[in-house]
Amino acid sequence: MQPKQFVDMPGAPVLGKNERPVSIEVKDVTIAFPTRGKGVFTAVKNIDLTIGKGEIVSIIGHSGCGKSTLMNAVSGMVKPTSGEVIVNGKRVTGPGPDRGIVFQNYSLLPWLTVYQNVYQAVDAVMPAKTAAEKRELAERNLTMVNLFQHRDKLPSQLSGGMKQRTAIARAFAINPSVLLLDEPFGALDALTKGSMHIELLKLWNLDHREKTIIMVTHDIEEAIFLSDRVVVMNDGPAATIREIVDIPLARPRNKKAIIHLPEYMAVHDRLLSLLTKSFSIEDEGVEYQV
Amino acid sequence: MKTLFSLSNLLAVAWFAGSLALLIAIWWVVSLVTEHEIPDPAATWTVFSEMLQDPFYDSGPNDKGIGIQLWGSIKRVGAGFLLGSLVAIPMGLLMGASTVGMRLLNPLVQILRPVSPLAWFPLGLLAFKAAEGATVFIIAITSLWPTLINTAFGVSSIPQDFKNVGKAFGFSRWKYISKILIPYALPHMITGLRLSIGVAWMVIVAGEMLSGGIGIGFFVWDSWNGLSLEKILSAILIIGFVGLLLDKLFNGLQQLVAYDKK
Ligand SMILES: Nc1ncnc2c1ncn2[C@@H]1O[C@H](COP(=O)(O)OP(=O)(O)OP(=O)(O)O)[C@@H](O)[C@H]1O
Ligand SMILES: [Mg+2]
Repeated sequence: MQPKQFVDMPGAPVLGKNERPVSIEVKDVTIAFPTRGKGVFTAVKNIDLTIGKGEIVSIIGHSGCGKSTLMNAVSGMVKPTSGEVIVNGKRVTGPGPDRGIVFQNYSLLPWLTVYQNVYQAVDAVMPAKTAAEKRELAERNLTMVNLFQHRDKLPSQLSGGMKQRTAIARAFAINPSVLLLDEPFGALDALTKGSMHIELLKLWNLDHREKTIIMVTHDIEEAIFLSDRVVVMNDGPAATIREIVDIPLARPRNKKAIIHLPEYMAVHDRLLSLLTKSFSIEDEGVEYQV
Repeated sequence: MKTLFSLSNLLAVAWFAGSLALLIAIWWVVSLVTEHEIPDPAATWTVFSEMLQDPFYDSGPNDKGIGIQLWGSIKRVGAGFLLGSLVAIPMGLLMGASTVGMRLLNPLVQILRPVSPLAWFPLGLLAFKAAEGATVFIIAITSLWPTLINTAFGVSSIPQDFKNVGKAFGFSRWKYISKILIPYALPHMITGLRLSIGVAWMVIVAGEMLSGGIGIGFFVWDSWNGLSLEKILSAILIIGFVGLLLDKLFNGLQQLVAYDKK
């Protein structure tokens, strides 16, 4: 075992870690992919991360640093080369319905209607339920994301935001204890994004804030508004966790109000400098600096 | 909403008419150049209308109406195509879904596919002891390849994203097949079927020239022996028209299963 370089940043207040039961443990995870011909490409290295039940954690970092790879290790889609991921006390060996995933590119099945996309997931995960119960579940989740009247449309007939909401309804409908959202609002305009944030928090609140949510994002404001903690990653290859930043803002948060708080500005500054610093390191020798 | 008489429909009809006019013009020129050794459209039309007067007349084994001939060919193509597809689709699914299946069967397909279906005719005769069976046999073989290759391609090219959906939501094997594999592969499969029926319809003419009996191919050969070029030209037009209809039929089917339609 290599020395753990980045354990939850000692010294930083780890909100939720002590008073909440642990939901996800990423233990010294390294993920390497075989490359064509010569050896392996190490995407992420020695990742340690402990997330409490009901916590919302964002992962932020430059494109290609390994955010999706890390998410895939939690979802079970990718097997760590070394280390392990433990979700709800069980070691992750593959994907499972205890973890609902919203894929980076939505991944709706294009030949199924909005309703069928949700229903088939429910049907696969909860075979014991009666058809009526499953239908009710699918419809309730579609209503929650305001898509009930669009339930018979095909994905090709949906806007980006509607696809996104379908993917969220699908992930929520199977009632997972962990939600993994990979750049869920990346492609949306600011307005739709804003309302999606509210909807996500609403869904989270409805469920007594018991779902653990990990979200990948490129958007600092979004990360601050939604998360309890923000994980900033270094650039790859062999990306590690650069720092975990706590968001000391009480909930419920008001998007307009919080931006004037000194805590908000401090956190915003910190995240920005963490991200831009790693950018200038990457571009060493280049004249301009961001 | 499109109406039957929308501008685009009228335009399509106009272009079709223009295309037909072009054909007739070229035909006429050829007829003139060959000094009517090739009959001109008018002469052909006279014979053609006669043929259509009583398409289903039956005066003995070697003298039957064009309708009966055509129907004989369609039945043969239908039977052969059905048989071929029944073999090609499961085989294609197998090849697409498993690397072992692909590695094992692909060389076989690569070797047999370029062989003219007519080369199988003697083997068909041997196996079925009858020209009828042999003809259906070569049509079945003809229908095999495009369907098989396209089905295999469809299944093997399922994007990782869709596979991941199946994994993430714990789809059972059956749910994966019915909700992901088949829907994704179906349009490819239908493309294969469409190509297959097209080739089958081409091969039937040659097949029936070998086999004799009743059929449009035999009719063409028989007309040649009877030195009626008008009949041959009429038959060519009919063959083309039926081929077009078959293609349209499968095109319609393709539209039906296309899932990214707006
Ligand atoms: N299956 C794979 N095989 C080989 N290399 C991979 C594979 N998946 C990811 N990688 C590599 O791992 C690195 C991290 O990829 P990843 O998709 O996790 O980045 P990301 O942080 O999610 O980027 P983005 O913000 O653009 O989505 C990249 O260099 C990528 O090329
Ligand atoms: Mg990514």
